[in-house]
Amino acid sequence: MYNTRVRGVLIKGNKSYSQVTKDILEPLYAPKAPTWWKISAFVATVALLLGAWAIYVTISTGIGTWGLNNNVAWGWAIINFVWWIGIGHAGTAFSIFLLIVRQKWRTSINRAAEAMTIFAVMAAGLFPLIHMGRIWDGFFIFPYWNTRGPLWDNFNSPLFWDVTAISTYLTASFLFWYVGMIPDFAIIREQAASKLRRKIYGILSFGWLGNAKGWLRFETAALLMGGMAAPLVVSVHSIVSMDFSVSVIPGWHTTIFPPYFVIGAIFSGFGMVLTLTIIMRKLYKFNDYITDGHLDAVARILTFISLIMGTAYLTELFMAWYSGSEYELFTFMKNRVTGDYTFAYWTMLTCNAIIPQLFWFKKIRKNITAVFIISIFINIGMWFERYVIVVTSLSKDFLPSGWAMYKPTFIEISIYIGTLGLFVLGVLLFFRYVPMIAIHEVKHVLKETSTDPSFAENNSEKH
Amino acid sequence: MNRTKILGIYEDHEVLLEALDKVQSKGFKVKDVFSPFPIHEVWEKLDLHTRIPYATFIYGASGTAMTFAFLYWSSVVNYPLKFGGKPLNTLSFVIIMFVLTILVGTIMTFLTLLWRQRLYPGRKVEMPDPRTVDDKFALVIEKTDDLDDKKMEELNTLLKETGAIEIKESNVQYYEK
Repeated sequence: MYNTRVRGVLIKGNKSYSQVTKDILEPLYAPKAPTWWKISAFVATVALLLGAWAIYVTISTGIGTWGLNNNVAWGWAIINFVWWIGIGHAGTAFSIFLLIVRQKWRTSINRAAEAMTIFAVMAAGLFPLIHMGRIWDGFFIFPYWNTRGPLWDNFNSPLFWDVTAISTYLTASFLFWYVGMIPDFAIIREQAASKLRRKIYGILSFGWLGNAKGWLRFETAALLMGGMAAPLVVSVHSIVSMDFSVSVIPGWHTTIFPPYFVIGAIFSGFGMVLTLTIIMRKLYKFNDYITDGHLDAVARILTFISLIMGTAYLTELFMAWYSGSEYELFTFMKNRVTGDYTFAYWTMLTCNAIIPQLFWFKKIRKNITAVFIISIFINIGMWFERYVIVVTSLSKDFLPSGWAMYKPTFIEISIYIGTLGLFVLGVLLFFRYVPMIAIHEVKHVLKETSTDPSFAENNSEKH
Repeated sequence: MNRTKILGIYEDHEVLLEALDKVQSKGFKVKDVFSPFPIHEVWEKLDLHTRIPYATFIYGASGTAMTFAFLYWSSVVNYPLKFGGKPLNTLSFVIIMFVLTILVGTIMTFLTLLWRQRLYPGRKVEMPDPRTVDDKFALVIEKTDDLDDKKMEELNTLLKETGAIEIKESNVQYYEK
């Protein structure tokens, strides 16, 4: 009943089990990292250091080093926070949603998507932390037994929900990711040529054996952890959206925000997955594992989500008019569609709702360069979406005498570049030291989806 | 007690499943199966079950209860303070309860997996046949006392007939439960 065979061959090249192991672990066993890896790692480290310097300036001098003002109190930091969290949604969305709908093509990509999640959420978590200004008082956010009453946190505040949701999301994603890697580390423990590698991966493999009962417990636990993380994908970004929608600022105070943010997050996450897997496939020649069919499937999902995004944008405009609130109408029509922030608004609309519609054409879906460029557009578009939401609403609210424009300073930009460095460096380390594709999951789907000759002949071209 | 084990090594999981059927139908007790990936049919054939789902439910439910107890106690009993005209015991507690249910459930399920399977960082293990992590499948039969020479002979032929590429004995001890 669940054997949907519309996807064609998942793993190409009639691989044997040992060939799968060999192919995927080859980059990890390589004695030296490739030159492009070293160069990228160097650039990422420089970016990370720039970010660290900017954070140092922020903390030692204060938030005054940013371009924020009385009106626009949330700037690049919050934009980047929401952007990174959005990107961080892909891993779990991939692993869990596609697991639930029994999409077996996920197996080649989910490990990379989950790794991306971890690093993106780490980058995201940095922003609220430094945005507090007095980072040394950061522990105030936790409900601990204090000498001021004890005065507890405001448990009705979306900002508190946010902290809870994001730390939970990071923990749950990390544990889920790690559980999936245990059997793959055991392979390295048993097979690696170097003693040091055997030892290190032996420690990481937790003494995994791969006996029947072990696999039963492993799969049950992984499924349960995944099943619990699935509602988290929805809840995290809903809660992030409540940071905005619970306020009374025009453009933020709308009920569409939770679903709109969740969809946007999955959209940007899948966009980043596409960017990353195309790079990974190209550099490590994983074409047999991440086939054109995989990229095609992601592109189709993106087309659909892009339509939802477009609908959400139109709904917002409609509601601004239909609500009869002049402030809402002003924010949308005079400060987004037209006005000072026109560029950001139309970039957002073009990149998110219009350009991905090119995926309707099979020719474009098959052209990997085009797919890659569109995925970059999606990443940019989603950044501008957050820019539009955060900045336009704040810069011109109820009192015209209080209107102010916002421009980021070099420090803010540097912090953003720093998180990009953190993300890239994390992904590079993942490329080098972790099996990039879930070996045991690929082996699980290998026989039934790739080496059955009758199926391969009959179905590979029928989509 | 750990006894000597007889290992039938197979190269394909479908061949292994057929072999498993045949060996069981001849009255031999298959102790375990080693494989590079989970095979659901093996669990049915070896009659293996896990209670982790029940445990997870209990973890989640207690996570919900404990979170609510803490929120109620801190906001209503210990330091009642009105925020924004909302009642002290508010519906919005649901959000934190929901998230912490998942947090507690996930962490505890992870720890339960490690505990039940005796997995921990740095645990040293020896595998009966290390190739089973890669591309081989091993059928494990315990060498019990009633396996006399005649029965051993029968078992060996049976394993060969069912497609085992290799039959070996192993004294490696591992955690079996």
